[in-house]
Amino acid sequence: MTDAWLLTVLSPMARAAFYLLAAVTLAGALGVTLTRNLFHSALWLAVTLLGVAGLYLYLGAEFLAVVQVLIYVGAILVLLLFGVMLTARIADPAVPALNRHALLAALVALCTGWALRLAVRQAAALPAGPVAPVPLETLGRGLVTTYVLPFEVLSLILIGALVGAVVIARPERRS
Amino acid sequence: MIPLSHLLTVSIGLFAIGLFGALSRRNAIGILMAIELILNAAALAFVAFNAYGIPAADRDAALGQTAALFIIGIAAAGAIVGLALVLAVYRHQRTIFADDMHLLKG
Repeated sequence: MTDAWLLTVLSPMARAAFYLLAAVTLAGALGVTLTRNLFHSALWLAVTLLGVAGLYLYLGAEFLAVVQVLIYVGAILVLLLFGVMLTARIADPAVPALNRHALLAALVALCTGWALRLAVRQAAALPAGPVAPVPLETLGRGLVTTYVLPFEVLSLILIGALVGAVVIARPERRS
Repeated sequence: MIPLSHLLTVSIGLFAIGLFGALSRRNAIGILMAIELILNAAALAFVAFNAYGIPAADRDAALGQTAALFIIGIAAAGAIVGLALVLAVYRHQRTIFADDMHLLKG
């Protein structure tokens, strides 16, 4: 099983698939930031999220890929689309999509990316190759043993966010 | 075999594009989307390190994937609260452009 997985990863076809996935992911991200129409932006975000899910699959994290599709594409993206459609003047081409600091923002992003790339290149010892994928059982067991406290805190955060969102978004009572 | 640095480069690219979007989009929902890109970049880096065996101990073998799960959960919470805030501001100010929200400007 493990050997078969390693063989799949090592084969040139999987290699080509990886670079294709990476290109799709980055192109989608560019679409998210540069598209004028916010609705199209959200659709490009779906492309990026699915690309990242594919990368998770490539890395042997099948469960995370499924979670990514279910939670991100299924829930968060639909929520964002609702937000897009609830607010008017989205698709108006006369409204500029970027603010007047766009050039400065591009400079900051480029410098940050360059610095991070430099850090990766100068890292002392990156591991040479992938190891056998983590079985799902290890992930699940960790969630209810070692990481049970962060897990519970996360559920509290979600409850707090839900209640807070309802309170914030509720129309005000006229008194 | 893909070197880990290539995976990290994809993650860095996602992060930089998301940072650019978060700094330059006028629409508040666009900024939220760019922040989702940044969170995805971080999660991808976590999973990549995990797949290349960075937490080597048996007990922490799934640490990177666990972190990515937590990131997805926190991203959901962030998106919910962010959208609620955007809707509340839109109701009061009739705008969702971040550079038109200058109520606190002196």
